[in-house]
Amino acid sequence: MFLGRTLRSKHFERDALPHLPALYRMARQLVGSESADDLVQETFLRAWKYFETFDPTTNCHAWLFRILRNVWISRWRKTRLELPLADTGEEQIEPYYDWEGEFLREELSADVERALSELPSDYRLAILLADVEDCTYEEIARITECPIGTVMSRLNRGRRMLARLIQAYGDLNTSGSQPQTFVRRKT
Amino acid sequence: MMDCKNFREILDLYVDGELSPEANVPAEAHLAECPTCRSAANRLQGLRQAVKAAVSQYEPAPELIHSVRKATLSSWQRRPAWTLAAVAASLLIVLWAASTPQFRGIAATTLEAAAFHLEDSRAVVMEGTLLCRDCQLKEKYGYRAMCPLKGHHGTLQTKDGKIWNILDGDASEDLIHNSALLGRTVRIHGRCFRRASSIEVNSYEVL
Repeated sequence: MFLGRTLRSKHFERDALPHLPALYRMARQLVGSESADDLVQETFLRAWKYFETFDPTTNCHAWLFRILRNVWISRWRKTRLELPLADTGEEQIEPYYDWEGEFLREELSADVERALSELPSDYRLAILLADVEDCTYEEIARITECPIGTVMSRLNRGRRMLARLIQAYGDLNTSGSQPQTFVRRKT
Repeated sequence: MMDCKNFREILDLYVDGELSPEANVPAEAHLAECPTCRSAANRLQGLRQAVKAAVSQYEPAPELIHSVRKATLSSWQRRPAWTLAAVAASLLIVLWAASTPQFRGIAATTLEAAAFHLEDSRAVVMEGTLLCRDCQLKEKYGYRAMCPLKGHHGTLQTKDGKIWNILDGDASEDLIHNSALLGRTVRIHGRCFRRASSIEVNSYEVL
């Protein structure tokens, strides 16, 4: 029993704990800086509890993010109200966004974060997994428990929504007018 | 030949590296010829990098890392090295002590006491001769008896030659500690714990 626990701790420290910074970054974008620590702690406690079910030949990074998503959905997401994504349109992609305009500036970190926070959470999660964590579409599909086609459409629409928001913040900075709000959310 | 419409449909897959090598060839060929799509791909790539840069600036606080480690790693692994060294030293002392006759005597008494609590007993009347337990152990096993310092310790030898340990109690105090009774035949009324080879004394008579 003691040896088993020690070995388990050793493997957990080797396989799971190195992903803590990545999970923290994701948690911060999902629930904000005030609750990020709680989400990460709860994720690791659950991962520790079920660590014996983790197959060490598989990807611990994706396994942990799946747990984080489940904890987030069960504890945090249900406390926030969002307009649901249009089911009928989710599989569609938007090929004709022209990506025109110099919306990316050097000092846009704050704008990017603000725009990310305005995205529907499923879009935000897909974008963060792809762009920050470099997950493949297949990994994102497994983590978010949806078909790969849905991942593709979330990335496609989410990125274009993100670009428009950043563009709008840029316009606001130059003109002083209010940006168009694409997603109505209540926190 | 891939046109702009076809390329825009796979733009995200291209930038995310999700295209198969076969599908990547016509995409690259189109990009080489189309500055508009090349610009779109560069901007999308730039957006990806901007998201990564914006999110990656945050690091978890050391307190968070500490609390997660504390909650998940075993207590032994968390102990500082000096604590483990102290535990190792204690084990060495115990091992050394275990090799001494005194320790074996203490351990035997402790085991007897434990057996006394674990075993069912039954009422008996036993007759036998009172002998000093430590002197018997000295004679048979070379135990370094402390009788000159601590006094003798009475025990009962029945006619079959078996030695019975007399458990401490108000009624058994003289049987254990009164050296004048050594060598005398006694009849003990009490309870017998066979597996512990022990007797609990309710009353006794010197015969």
